[in-house]
Amino acid sequence: MFGLDYSWLADPAYQNWLVTGVINTLELAALSSSVAILIGMLGALGLSLRVFWLDALIEFFVEVFRNTPPLLQMLFAYFTLSTLGLKTTDPVTGLEVPLLSAFACACISLSLFGGALAIEAFRSGLETMPKAITEAGRSLGYSRWARFWRIEVPIASRVCLPSLTNILTNLFKTTSQASVITVPELMYYAGQIYNDTFRTLEVMILILIIYVVLVSILSYGMSRLEAYLTLPGYGKGQ
Amino acid sequence: MKRSEALIEIDNIHKSFGDFEVLKGISLSVNEGEAVCIIGPSGSGKSTVLRCINGLLPIDEGFIRVGNHRVHELRSEKEMRPLRHQVSMVFQQYNLFPHKTALENIMMAPIQVLGHERAEVEDRARKLLEKVRLGNKADSYPGMLSGGQQQRVAIARALAMQPEVILFDEVTAALDPETVKEVLLTIRELVDDGLTCILVTHEMKFAREVADRVCFTDRGLIVENAPPADLFDNPQDPRTREFLGQVL
Ligand SMILES: Nc1ncnc2c1ncn2[C@@H]1O[C@H](COP(=O)(O)OP(=O)(O)OP(=O)(O)O)[C@@H](O)[C@H]1O
Ligand SMILES: [Mg+2]
Repeated sequence: MFGLDYSWLADPAYQNWLVTGVINTLELAALSSSVAILIGMLGALGLSLRVFWLDALIEFFVEVFRNTPPLLQMLFAYFTLSTLGLKTTDPVTGLEVPLLSAFACACISLSLFGGALAIEAFRSGLETMPKAITEAGRSLGYSRWARFWRIEVPIASRVCLPSLTNILTNLFKTTSQASVITVPELMYYAGQIYNDTFRTLEVMILILIIYVVLVSILSYGMSRLEAYLTLPGYGKGQ
Repeated sequence: MKRSEALIEIDNIHKSFGDFEVLKGISLSVNEGEAVCIIGPSGSGKSTVLRCINGLLPIDEGFIRVGNHRVHELRSEKEMRPLRHQVSMVFQQYNLFPHKTALENIMMAPIQVLGHERAEVEDRARKLLEKVRLGNKADSYPGMLSGGQQQRVAIARALAMQPEVILFDEVTAALDPETVKEVLLTIRELVDDGLTCILVTHEMKFAREVADRVCFTDRGLIVENAPPADLFDNPQDPRTREFLGQVL
């Protein structure tokens, strides 16, 4: 059809690469999204404490990671972290290997990038918190920490879920940049396959479709979560 | 030595926000089982007094004792914890936690803050919901309840901490007249049960009926402090007379 040749797809080796690529992409996305969300929550908590030096530190972090290309961040993480020379001995092969693999570097850099965006999202979520609710928490004897996790996070998360969906989608797509530092995720194997087969267009179309499907599943999941978390008579449930 | 027997003893407290002195030396003592109403014009510092009593606001100067807690000496939220057990507060805005049902709102703090047994707390919470006539609303979220119903859940939530004192800050001010009645009825029952209450209110008729004593505040001072019959029918201070003239 249209002169596109997908006969290479029958090759189990390529099938295997694609499956491995998808799995690694999913792992990378899941890990960095979780850490990013945690960074986002803790960063927003840090900002809400209104301690001068902590504010400055967090603002600096957010500015740096929000205003530089994530690809640069990843390369930076890869080259700095790998030249730190942290080595460990692989328990199976007994060989010296870098403590931080390319995968780990990608994970760290993506987590920080997503975390910076998530801090902003959670911060604006917390800002919508009625003062009366915070005061009720205090008068019932909740500590700052308990108030944050038990009252503010559950309420603010609902408010910032739509922007969080954007951030996670963005982060998912950005995982493809890990191919540049040789992390064997989907984009990396795509390159391997078209280098092998010279079927660049066919491979790109397939990869495009796979990303569309994966990201759609993610946004569908998030919209379901949003619907599930909607409170009757509050916010969207009004 | 009547004063030292009082459950709550406030002596000459001062509080400023920036240059603006909101409390200019308030003294008040409240005995166990007493219901004291605070009335006065807007901005006279009524809410501020209540917030100081339960340590939500630190005072600049003065002495506050509730039971055996010297509130003005408590610095951290951790030190305040036992005080929270003893003093509950109900606010003007019904500030229930929107992500929890009525029952969960009541159960949360006793379990999470006081560390009480869940089964026992649930039992207590259901009884309290019955008491505020909302037994059938246990599983409703605050957003599904009317203002008056939310306020009654908030009262049940305050009671679930098993406090010796409840502070009510204009709890009916945001309600429509119909629902005001049901909330006042609930409060009246608590007063009749002998709970110590300090109530900031604009409901003069209610104050006259339930209060053992009424305090009139103006510009950061308690101008007059007397049993309701005296204060309403025979006010001594011209400022009290003027205020009552406007609201009655
Ligand atoms: N956190 C704050 N920062 C600055 N000023 C404040 C703060 N809280 C209260 N005030 C000021 O202190 C004064 C007294 O406030 P307070 O809330 O105690 O009055 P109130 O007697 O309860 O009035 P109302 O009947 O309107 O509730 C007001 O002028 C108010 O603007
Ligand atoms: Mg007030």
